Amino acid sequence: MFTLNFRILAVAITGFFLGSGSAQAETVSIPVLVPVTGFLSLEGTSQRNGALLALEEAADNLPADLDVQFEVFDTATSPEIAVNAFLRAAEAPNVVAVVAPIFGTQMLALLPLAREDGVPLITISGTASITEQDNPYVFRFFPGDVVVKEAHARYALEVLGAERPALITQTTAYGQSGQAHLSTRFIDAGVAPVLDEAVDVSVNDMLPVLIKAQRAGADMLLLHLHSGPTAQLLRQAASLGLDIPIVAGSALHQPTTADLLTQDELAGSCAETGSSPISGGDTDIDTWTQRYRSRFAIEPDAFALGQYDGVRMVLAALNEGARSAADVRQYLSRETFDGLAMAYKSDGTGNMAHDAVIVCYGSDSRVPRIERRYENVTGVR
Amino acid sequence: MAALQLLVNGLALGAAYGLVALGFVLVLNATGAVNFAHGDWVMAGGFVAIALTGALTSILPVEFAGGGAWVGLLLLPTTLVVMAGLGLIFCRVAYTPLKNQPPVTIFVSTIAVGLILSNGINAQFGGAPRSTPPLFGAGQFSLGDLVISHQSLSILGTAIILIGGLGWLMERTQTGRRMRAAAQDPEMARAMGIRVDRLIAVSFALALALAGAAGLLLANQFFITPSSGGALMLKAYLAVTIGGWGSLRGAVAGAMLIAFFEIGVASLTSQPVAEGLLYLVLFAILFARPQGVFGEAIGHRA
Repeated sequence: MFTLNFRILAVAITGFFLGSGSAQAETVSIPVLVPVTGFLSLEGTSQRNGALLALEEAADNLPADLDVQFEVFDTATSPEIAVNAFLRAAEAPNVVAVVAPIFGTQMLALLPLAREDGVPLITISGTASITEQDNPYVFRFFPGDVVVKEAHARYALEVLGAERPALITQTTAYGQSGQAHLSTRFIDAGVAPVLDEAVDVSVNDMLPVLIKAQRAGADMLLLHLHSGPTAQLLRQAASLGLDIPIVAGSALHQPTTADLLTQDELAGSCAETGSSPISGGDTDIDTWTQRYRSRFAIEPDAFALGQYDGVRMVLAALNEGARSAADVRQYLSRETFDGLAMAYKSDGTGNMAHDAVIVCYGSDSRVPRIERRYENVTGVR
Repeated sequence: MAALQLLVNGLALGAAYGLVALGFVLVLNATGAVNFAHGDWVMAGGFVAIALTGALTSILPVEFAGGGAWVGLLLLPTTLVVMAGLGLIFCRVAYTPLKNQPPVTIFVSTIAVGLILSNGINAQFGGAPRSTPPLFGAGQFSLGDLVISHQSLSILGTAIILIGGLGWLMERTQTGRRMRAAAQDPEMARAMGIRVDRLIAVSFALALALAGAAGLLLANQFFITPSSGGALMLKAYLAVTIGGWGSLRGAVAGAMLIAFFEIGVASLTSQPVAEGLLYLVLFAILFARPQGVFGEAIGHRA
């Protein structure tokens, strides 16, 4: 009798747990792989913050039976570390998407793994070649050089009337990509740069290249440099009294870059970028900016907002019923998503962002104003 | 006038690089091993100065702190003292326990310290480029078309004082003579009653004080990030290789040559070409004079 009762009890307990198991929340994972140390830690931190803000807010907007797990992995500065981080992250339960590093070299290393595991990579890396590998698992939520350099060139040519621009870029892959797009665009427009020079990130003094631009009779400086070199060049140009327009790459829109310069050094300079959350003018973005500031105690930039929008599109896919990496990939490749910065839609190669803005600094504020919007530059939407 | 402008900037840059290279040589001479953390210590010097700026600004009366000039002036000696203290700790932690090991062990230890510094500072301050206050206030003055910033003059003046002071210490004082003796033959120096370990600790303190000065000066003029150490280390290594392992004046000469290529040659060619030419010159020097321009006979180095 005791044995029979025990068996009944055991079956009942097992049934209870099985039953409660079916009512438990389904778990999906979205690991965050970003460089928070090393030379891209500034941009990587923005990327991490954007992703975290979206994931932390996700609980309020997802179905109650869905539990989203996430963990941050530092990819530092080398492809090997990114690959190791990906392999560790892949051990999480039901990985439906991976926030992938802004560093293009690491992205190139992760692409084969993403294809092998069938997991979409959600990134803001600007390196053009990551969406040129015929890999259906990459989705870029920051406008690539095809978009932002077009806006850069159009603003310089059409608004500022550049006739003798000097093009100064970085020797890194980032710099080479921007140089190729800008140089080709200007030559096609019949306005060949009077100076086209690359500088290494370790160069401290920008005087030589500025003097060469001056000697070449440049009527405008077009920059595609990282944050520190951009600030250095602006500072020395002001010191030299070089009174010509400067249109920089997206580094200049970052509040941390502007913080290095005085108002006089900043005044009149412009930059291309995907968005400029601190510039204001949009209620939803202003609200998001406040949330970002209170969460991280720093100013947001376009990288943070782009990654926030990218993760939100993945969450939207989950809201629409996607429960696997394949479902999410399909959603990302087919749907249009109205993000905060812009509307995102894949061009078939994973480029989701097709808008750019030009921001300029005035003489009375350290917050840049949005001077021009270039929407749907690629004509995808 | 452009040439004169390039010369002024080149001298200021070379002077700052000279301070970086001198600190590197001091530890090299004292331990016989390469301190691969030296670039990161220069970077750390910049961040120590940034942290001290906040502390000094809160301590000083508003009429002094508000002006900025006093903060800059007080920053140099306080940074030197704090960094010298860190040098003693660095010696105690990364060198002393390994001093009887082969030099390769010591330089691996310094690599570890460099990584800890870089990542620790990144975690504490973030990855954004940062700037220190100018030593004697911001601003510049013009002589015709020539523009000279106060900070450029500060770098030059500070470097001359510190390099001159180090030269005097090494050449004209008993401590300096003992330091040189300990560097040349530690066993014989010990036999003569010289406290070699203490002098090695002094070398670490001096090296990091110089690194702190370089970090403070460079960070104002050229900004600094937690990942700046690698590039600075490379410049120090190049300067010392050109000037001669162990030679203080060689380190300064090598640093000036690097600055000449970065500014003078780059203005005539391009920066990547100038860098390539610098390495060609380095190869030529190593081919013709393997011990470097001011170096003595080659010893065994890690």
